[in-house]
Amino acid sequence: MAITKTEIEKLAKLARLSFTDEELERFTAEFDEIIAFADTINQSIEGGTAEIRSVGARMVSFDDLRSDEVVPSLPNDKILSNVEGYNGFFSLERSKK
Amino acid sequence: MRAEITELASKLRKREISAVELTKTYIDAIEKRNPTLNSYVHLTFDTALKAAEQADQMLKEGDAPLLCGIPMALKDNICTDGLLTTCCSKILDGFKPYYDATVWEKLKAQGAVLLGKTNMDEFAMGSTSETSCYGAPLNPINTAYVTGGSSGGSASAVCAGLAVYSLGSDTGGSIRQPASFCGVVGLKPTYGAVSRYGLIAYGSSLDQIGPLTLNVKDAAIVFDAIKGGDKRDQTSVYHDYGVSLAECLDRDVKGMHIGVAEEFFDGINPEIKSKIVEAINLFEKNGAVIENIRLPALKIALPVYYIIACAEASSNLGRYDGIRYGHRASSYTSIEDMIVKTRSEGFGDEVKRRIMLGTYVLSSGYYDAYYKKACLIREEINREFDAVFEKCDVLIAPTAPNTAFPLNYKGASPVEMYLSDICTVPINIAGIPAISIPCGKDSKGLPIGMQIIGKKFDEATVLQTAYFYEQNSGIKAGVYEGGTRA
Repeated sequence: MAITKTEIEKLAKLARLSFTDEELERFTAEFDEIIAFADTINQSIEGGTAEIRSVGARMVSFDDLRSDEVVPSLPNDKILSNVEGYNGFFSLERSKK
Repeated sequence: MRAEITELASKLRKREISAVELTKTYIDAIEKRNPTLNSYVHLTFDTALKAAEQADQMLKEGDAPLLCGIPMALKDNICTDGLLTTCCSKILDGFKPYYDATVWEKLKAQGAVLLGKTNMDEFAMGSTSETSCYGAPLNPINTAYVTGGSSGGSASAVCAGLAVYSLGSDTGGSIRQPASFCGVVGLKPTYGAVSRYGLIAYGSSLDQIGPLTLNVKDAAIVFDAIKGGDKRDQTSVYHDYGVSLAECLDRDVKGMHIGVAEEFFDGINPEIKSKIVEAINLFEKNGAVIENIRLPALKIALPVYYIIACAEASSNLGRYDGIRYGHRASSYTSIEDMIVKTRSEGFGDEVKRRIMLGTYVLSSGYYDAYYKKACLIREEINREFDAVFEKCDVLIAPTAPNTAFPLNYKGASPVEMYLSDICTVPINIAGIPAISIPCGKDSKGLPIGMQIIGKKFDEATVLQTAYFYEQNSGIKAGVYEGGTRA
């Protein structure tokens, strides 16, 4: 299945990315190959595939959850120390003039 | 300087050398070699010297842990309170975390001395470390070749004697493959054995932190120090390993069942295959029973890995919007425009490709055909490994189908590069432990890595088997003999 530039633009919008025309051209060609690679998942394998049990649940144990208690958190000034131009509020460029 | 942890720990305890003197030796080596090798991207010499002074005090007081005063390095995706952590991405330019990753918290408490943060593929996405926004690290064995990736700087630093040990992260082979390319040891522990708290996420159900070292014993020592459950990482496990794994490495392989799966050898460079076969023969000669086994689902492990990893990455990397940290676009017309411009300027091509693939496989109409199906096959791969470990103690396989690529190699498309992860990704999919150890060199003098794979939480057998091979094969980690940057 060949992927179109329109589909790439739609995906880019979902992913909050933008591409120049030149990038879009290159990306569409590369993405076509990547999707063809992802499609190889449909090859048959000996013995078929197992019944899905519970996706994700295997990775997480619910036997040892921490109790729902309020504990001290990091100080606000430390957490916000990486914010560019923070002065009690998030300061961005004016977008409505 | 290249020295083992136990050797240095002994010298520190006998006061033959102080932690400050040892740290200065490594700083000198870094100042001399890092401009060529680019193993480190952020240097932390001031804090290292302060930590070394504290380590000397701990050593003076007696009863200091084994890693006290030992200079080391962390991959640039492991958070360090107040010290730059950028994932080698422009989007995290200038980011200083406000907390320590659990692994660093543990090592710091033991008196570790952090020399700096090591180079890597941007957001750990790559197999050569060339997607780093700081430029690629060079392979100390031959500086015309890549280190592998994504923990390329960590492997390069250890190989070149710029750190006694380093930590890397492994989502699809990112510790083992650079260890293989640089001729050092790299351990990917069982998923959940080491806390991921403070590791900047790529594929959360696959990521795992582990050590890169000059030998197997050092890998066991560092793993002993960082393992354990953590309430801040709900996927970590409080597994009781019993004793220190570093203290029980001696084990005879007589009667041990070693599995060899033909699927791991499909399309492998013949020189690599021949070295792995030599290693298998060594085990057999020493009484191990070689079992020829099948793992048919490995044939589709690569697309399964890329679908799951990219799906998780597209979600994990959604947080980079330029508001709370890192790079922010300088001009925009709305908040939405600022986020799009920030992300488009801040992420490199490979990261964008993976975010786009992840977005695609999770999008309406494709979720069942890709993501859900990949999760289904993941279960099958798990089942196959479980069945194999009913009769085998460990499996042996190559770490990579090839040795290091030349720098700036343009002969491979993104998909062809993905195919080079064939030997390592099945291990992450199954969440099992594996180590890469040096097992010789190819005709170009580039190191070859052998993978020893074990069952979940059986790092002990993996390390014992690797230690046996290391002691009996006489093959040691590669040595940096100088080189230039083209």
